[in-house]
Amino acid sequence: MEGEPFDRRLSRADMLRLAGLAAGVGVVAGPAAAADAAVAHVTKESGRLQVMDWVGYVNDLPHHATYAAYLKKYPHNKPQFTHMANESDALGKFHAGAHPDLFRPYVGWVKYFAKSGLVQPWNPKLISNFKHLNPFMVKAGQYKGKQYGIPDDWGFDAILYRKDKVHPKARSWGLLFDERYKGKIAWYDDIGMITVAGLYLKAKNPWNQTSAELDRSVNFLKKKIKLTKLIWAYESDLWQAFRGGDVWIAYAWPNDWVTMKKKFPVVYMHPREKPVSWVGMFMLLKGTPRPHLAHAYVNAWSSKHSGKWLEDNYGYGHANTQARPSSSQLLKALQLANPKAVTLPNAYFDRDIPQRALYAHLWEQVKASG
Amino acid sequence: MPPARRRRRLRRGLATPALLGLPVSWLVLFFVVPIAIVGAYSVDVYVLFPGPHHFTFTPWRTFFSQGDYFPLFVKSIEMSLSVSAVVVALAYPLAYFLALSGTRRKYVLLLILVVPFLTSYLLRVLAWKVILGSQGVVNTFLFSTGLRAEGHPLSFLLYSRFAVMLVLAYVWLPFVALPIFVTLESIDRRLLEAASDLYASRLQAFLRITLPLSLPGVVAAFLFVFIPTVGEFVTPSLVGGTSGYMYGNQIVDLFQTGFPDWETGAVLSLFLLAVILALTLVFVRFLRAGEARTA
Repeated sequence: MEGEPFDRRLSRADMLRLAGLAAGVGVVAGPAAAADAAVAHVTKESGRLQVMDWVGYVNDLPHHATYAAYLKKYPHNKPQFTHMANESDALGKFHAGAHPDLFRPYVGWVKYFAKSGLVQPWNPKLISNFKHLNPFMVKAGQYKGKQYGIPDDWGFDAILYRKDKVHPKARSWGLLFDERYKGKIAWYDDIGMITVAGLYLKAKNPWNQTSAELDRSVNFLKKKIKLTKLIWAYESDLWQAFRGGDVWIAYAWPNDWVTMKKKFPVVYMHPREKPVSWVGMFMLLKGTPRPHLAHAYVNAWSSKHSGKWLEDNYGYGHANTQARPSSSQLLKALQLANPKAVTLPNAYFDRDIPQRALYAHLWEQVKASG
Repeated sequence: MPPARRRRRLRRGLATPALLGLPVSWLVLFFVVPIAIVGAYSVDVYVLFPGPHHFTFTPWRTFFSQGDYFPLFVKSIEMSLSVSAVVVALAYPLAYFLALSGTRRKYVLLLILVVPFLTSYLLRVLAWKVILGSQGVVNTFLFSTGLRAEGHPLSFLLYSRFAVMLVLAYVWLPFVALPIFVTLESIDRRLLEAASDLYASRLQAFLRITLPLSLPGVVAAFLFVFIPTVGEFVTPSLVGGTSGYMYGNQIVDLFQTGFPDWETGAVLSLFLLAVILALTLVFVRFLRAGEARTA
């Protein structure tokens, strides 16, 4: 009707025109361009793309590199970031009413969020870089055959220590519980510590321990928490403690190693019980008014260029198998040329914790006992 | 009654509700209503995750029967009581000097005391990290003077219960000095002159006149520190490390950073509120009993 906004109503003639246009462009330019053309004409997704992301990735100028391609294409739909302290924080915010378009939990939460009804699957056809993503990581983002998570960065949970101060008895998670270094140890503030205790104590499945195994792990942690100086929730807290000489040993990520090795002789140790590997997964919230923009944003993040930037600046791996960092040392340390670096026999891929609420309750008890 | 007098009486009658209306509304909207909402979460009238739910005291029963959080609560109460007592003990001589010394610069000195308020709370707390760390100001001084061997710092200074209590005391000292100062300032000097005339020593005058009359200010100051510090979570998270973890941190974890359990978090919050209220009432009754004895 005359005067009606375009995106309010489409006539039959408009639909036929658009279908013809999309088909014609598709023949000439391929699926990605067809998708973009469809975006341009069928939906006018407006407003800023709402992205909930972790601190350190959020709205900082240098990090524009990871989505520069998106900004170039959609300058009027710049991302607007909100912060998530962790996945639990994001979950609480969603239930309290927050509605970002997408967010970025890690692989262990994919199944939880996929089952929760809060998210919807992606359409990989709208992500031209999807074919370059590590297939193991892609599979880890699936639930019941649908792609709920698009992998982006990855790394390990392992042990960082100062080799000028610390002499491990063995290459083991036990270093986090070593009585010789009382007051110089930092744990991570997450139920992952119960998993680590389970790995160290040889639980059959550290991510789903039996009652007896959980009792053993939790009591072990309660006994050993007195050795810790700090239970860190933000990397900046860990870095400050390391820089100040208050901590020599920490549960840490590769980025922490990259940051600390500028100041100290540090080692990033993969324990013999195996480190835990993790992969960041973009997930699309259900009911988002900007699904195509979200796909475009994730596509930008998934590019080789973004991957290289991330690897050079964060010391994390990137799911794009073509991305390579400038540093050969980093390439070797992260085994970036090995597409199976995140899986056995190299590492345990992080996974869903069926008893998550119980693990969380027990972890709070551990912290309270400190 | 003449109309003019009736109108005056009506104006006086309406004046009080009109003046109180805004602050009471503010209190209801931003205090009573949020507490009621938290209360609703604590009895499952509201729940965070969608699903069937109904009014129940189960979260409260679980809280009391399992008792998981009581040791942490007791620890936090102990820390707050210690901080409050120490801060009041430190602030009293300061306030006494300012109020009763007769110095002409007392308001300037008071201003200097209050100046830290003009800076960011976070910056003041973070500054202590620089001072207390293993390679901070204190330890560097100890190394340079030979009081500690290099490489053997006093590690208890930071990321510890001590650090939390020290920083809380530092942050709250100006708050505490002010109400004590005000109370001491208001003491009638003629009472002290009369005591002197009756050959009372300065110590006797202090113990029999100044201290009892300043007690309301002291109790107010004590509560001023105790009430907020019991629920502290920012300072413990910045400088407390593992051993400085407090009850307030537990509440934050339940609402935010741990797996969300708003129902249990609501119970912990209301329990804290109830205990604080009870302790405050005890203090006030104690104070009134003391005032009655003095009178």
